[in-house]
Amino acid sequence: MKRISLFLAALLVAGCSAGSTASAPRDPNAITIGFSAEPANFDFTRTDGTAIPQALLYNVYEGLVKLDENGQVKPLLAESWRVSPDRLSYEFSLRANASFSNGSPFTADNVKFSIERVKTTWGISQKSKMDVVSRVEVLAPTKVRVTLSRPSNNWLFDMTTRVGAMFSPDGVADLPNNPVGTGPYDVAARNRGSSITLKANPRYWGPKPAYETVYLRYFKDSTALNNALLSNGIDVVSAVAAPDSMPQFENDTRFNVTQGITNGEVVLSFNGRKAPLNDVRVRRALTQGIDRRVLLDTAWAGRGELIGSMVPRTDPWYTDLTGVNAYNPENAKKLLAEAGQQNLNLRLRIPNLPYAVTSAQVVKSELNKIGVGVSIEPLDFPAVWLKSVFTEHDFDMSIIQHVEPRDITTFGNTKYYWGYDSPKVRRLLAEGDRGSPEQQVTAMREVAATLADDAAACWLFLFPNLIAAKKKVGGLPLNQISEAFDLTILRRAGS
Amino acid sequence: MTLAVRRSSSPSLWVGLGLVGLVVVTALASFLWTPHDPTLVDAAQRLRGPGTDYVFGTDKFGRDLFSQVMVGARTTLFVGVVAVGVAALIGTPLGVFAAMAPKWLGEFVMRVNDLVLAFPALLLAIVFGAVFGADTLTAMIAIGIASVPSFARIARSGALGVMSTEYVLAARSAGRSRTAIAVRHVLPNIAGLVIVQSSVSFAIAVLSEAALSFLGFGTRPPTPSWGRMLQESQELLAVEPRLALVPGVAIAIAVLGFNLLGDGLRDRYDPRLEVRR
Amino acid sequence: MTVQILRRALIFVVSALVASVAVFGLLAVLPGDPAQVALGVSATPELLAKTRQEFGIDRPLATQYFEWIGGVFSGDFGNSYVTREPIGPQLVDRLGVTMWLVGAGMLVALLIALPAGVFAAVRHRRASGSVISGLSQLGVAVPGFVAAIILVQVFAVQLRWLPAGGWTPPIVDPLDFLSGLLLPALSLGLVQGAVLTRYVRSSVIDVLREDYLRTARAKGLTPYRALLRHGLRNASVPVVTVLGLQLATLLIGAVVIERVFVIPGLGSMLLDAVSNRDLLTVQGIVLVLVLAVLLVNFVVDVLYTVLNPRLRQAS
Repeated sequence: MKRISLFLAALLVAGCSAGSTASAPRDPNAITIGFSAEPANFDFTRTDGTAIPQALLYNVYEGLVKLDENGQVKPLLAESWRVSPDRLSYEFSLRANASFSNGSPFTADNVKFSIERVKTTWGISQKSKMDVVSRVEVLAPTKVRVTLSRPSNNWLFDMTTRVGAMFSPDGVADLPNNPVGTGPYDVAARNRGSSITLKANPRYWGPKPAYETVYLRYFKDSTALNNALLSNGIDVVSAVAAPDSMPQFENDTRFNVTQGITNGEVVLSFNGRKAPLNDVRVRRALTQGIDRRVLLDTAWAGRGELIGSMVPRTDPWYTDLTGVNAYNPENAKKLLAEAGQQNLNLRLRIPNLPYAVTSAQVVKSELNKIGVGVSIEPLDFPAVWLKSVFTEHDFDMSIIQHVEPRDITTFGNTKYYWGYDSPKVRRLLAEGDRGSPEQQVTAMREVAATLADDAAACWLFLFPNLIAAKKKVGGLPLNQISEAFDLTILRRAGS
Repeated sequence: MTLAVRRSSSPSLWVGLGLVGLVVVTALASFLWTPHDPTLVDAAQRLRGPGTDYVFGTDKFGRDLFSQVMVGARTTLFVGVVAVGVAALIGTPLGVFAAMAPKWLGEFVMRVNDLVLAFPALLLAIVFGAVFGADTLTAMIAIGIASVPSFARIARSGALGVMSTEYVLAARSAGRSRTAIAVRHVLPNIAGLVIVQSSVSFAIAVLSEAALSFLGFGTRPPTPSWGRMLQESQELLAVEPRLALVPGVAIAIAVLGFNLLGDGLRDRYDPRLEVRR
Repeated sequence: MTVQILRRALIFVVSALVASVAVFGLLAVLPGDPAQVALGVSATPELLAKTRQEFGIDRPLATQYFEWIGGVFSGDFGNSYVTREPIGPQLVDRLGVTMWLVGAGMLVALLIALPAGVFAAVRHRRASGSVISGLSQLGVAVPGFVAAIILVQVFAVQLRWLPAGGWTPPIVDPLDFLSGLLLPALSLGLVQGAVLTRYVRSSVIDVLREDYLRTARAKGLTPYRALLRHGLRNASVPVVTVLGLQLATLLIGAVVIERVFVIPGLGSMLLDAVSNRDLLTVQGIVLVLVLAVLLVNFVVDVLYTVLNPRLRQAS
């Protein structure tokens, strides 16, 4: 009985803890930013996906280094670092005045603790990025040396991602609910299903962020997200996922818009494990059969860039490869005939996400024109898509946005879902990682060109970074190429 | 008992028939001819306004809206036929059985029936979509199952009425089997009620498909469906309201048509009205 | 009458138990391994096995069912596979939000249907009555989410009078709460109001034909006064029944409306849980929704017994 009355009492105060969200715009020191994917919890060490680092990295958690919007590795908790001539050891000098939000100071011991914890405790795929580390030595409270088992250019870059986040031994007890980092913000409240509230961390070592309070609000529906800004409910749309609505913001004097790039390659992936897609002629035919300009113009309102391989413009080894396997429907038909595949029917199993659903319809229409039948099967994302396409490889083609920085390396992983197996690419990737930065650029260029020529996948377009915001918000990032939505660069307009 | 034919013409009936006829003719015509291929993407014709070439204009893929509406009518009818078919074919015999079976058994059947009623159509369709994969057929079978109870109830109460008439009592005393009575006397006499319920359920199925497609649990792209057209129109609503208007009006016509048809038929067939007015 | 009500209560309890088995059974066959989903893309087989054990999904189905339903009785719906947090408190919170929405939607529906239905009934032979009937037919034909999209476009995006979505609990800010509730409640209530108008109309027409009302009107009362004095109770019997059925419809209609308005209620929780294959959460939500419908039906049955004079006399 007591339980029942408690239950009733809880109901009557109805959703008291669920989502208080609307009061943000009245506070001049607060800003409300709308996102589409909500974090399931705050623990990116054990929960996969992009939503958690998007909210927490650089804002609540910091690493030794960070990635700026031009793709450069910049100091963060490390003031500087020295790489040994054999490129096997990295000596970092740390900031002396940084501390965690629970009061513990940040020292070299935390670096050792955090890096080793990735190898021992983390439960997500990215933990393998730390495999190359063989030893972490604390030289002094602000000096730490990391030794690698082989030279790796990727390692320092990877330290800008979530695996590089610094933790405190007394702050990891309840990571899913209570994140403790050194960043400029601290999680103040969370309303499942609607919002997260960040408050400025008074102990922060760096400059005070422009906004004292940040409300991160989540809208599963892209139109609802747009409408929230149009009706003055929020201040920023972090990523406009309905690109045809951009003119609504551009033609309204209340808003600023930016259009840059992300490192999200929207890929039409081929299942290279089985016939007929293990035949390079078929893959080339499919690639040449799709007019990617038409696809970008219709599916994504022409916003975004065409890419010919798995490299965004911000990577140092970018070259324009859109000419490789360019649109040529006549040649595509010829290639299919050569391969003896005139009556091809393929299953296009896609996540039920806006960009995939729209792109798939264009892919189908285009491939029908070269005589290839396509059946589109939208799968619930993430659960079903991850299970049947990504894990069980039950697909012919799929469409997914690959958002991890420098994910071109996945083509060296023969177990990855696209089942691409090229000894040449694997060798070049290893050479690039081991070699000098110049050698890396040369090797990676060749990797990109090989993938394009092999039609290892069909790169539909590079996802644009579309931000719409109230005029009062300044410092909006042009490009979005790190895993984080970096709140520290936001300014108040005119200041 | 004879079916009471109350009034030879009711405006609901004729308007309903007209609207439903429009949907049916459109759907049938789409098999023979559409002005354009409704799934063909054509960047050059993107977001064209209404004109002579494209009656309702084109969508963001450059696909002809009118052709999509035409083929969408097929989807709508398919949806209704499957859902109502499942519901009527299970529900009607079940209701008749419950009326003719021993009292305890009939009671039990109706209790189970009530239990199914507690699973709302949309909820069932979402769960079915999750279990068996989201597409039109799964959704409609779910909607159909959720509509079984209303058919069973109607059929049972109709059958109970028929069972107490003198000629059925006579037939029973003459030793006719229950099955024979059900087929010869009960089913023909409740047919009107079942048809009325079918029309109403059809409207509900059309609305449900629209809602499910809107949520992404319904018709798969690129098969034209009015519900999905609505969903796709959302981001352009402020700029191109016609993209939402066209499928919205189409849905309203179909639902209105089937509801009016149901009302009109009820006026003709429902014996209760005969007593009442 | 007491016997009647007790019988209904018994049926309710048995139905609820059977429904719980059905919900469990239906979701036990859901494809997608919860352990795989929780661990993400590169889970090792050992880690998977360990997680399955942690979730308890490696045990026989019957054991799982009894443990689950036993927990539900004490308000423990288990821990979510995705967030690994208890589901019960979330459910209560979300149900609270949805109940506000459904309650407000019902209020809108009644505010439309009662006056419109009575008016249409009293004037059912005149043009003005037919117009109301026609409008209600049209209202029934418009899907609720279409109404929602239009309302948002007009009142939030164009006029900017009301928020386009979101949720403020009443305690935090009553004004924000109300302004945020208005559009969703209208979207839900307009369509249901149209449905309800038709029932109110037909039951009022029935009552108007009764002898006692004819007598009352012969004595010089206007039709509205006559209805108010003598007819409302009788007209309310079928309306209450329909109202009960509509509560169930509203509860499910809220799923779609919550999506359009980004309201953190039971519906958005359900859709999220489905796309995450958060099986145990889906199970809990479906059970709560089905129980709510059963409970409403039970209450309607009881009210029907109490309100209906003929049934009262019979007992």
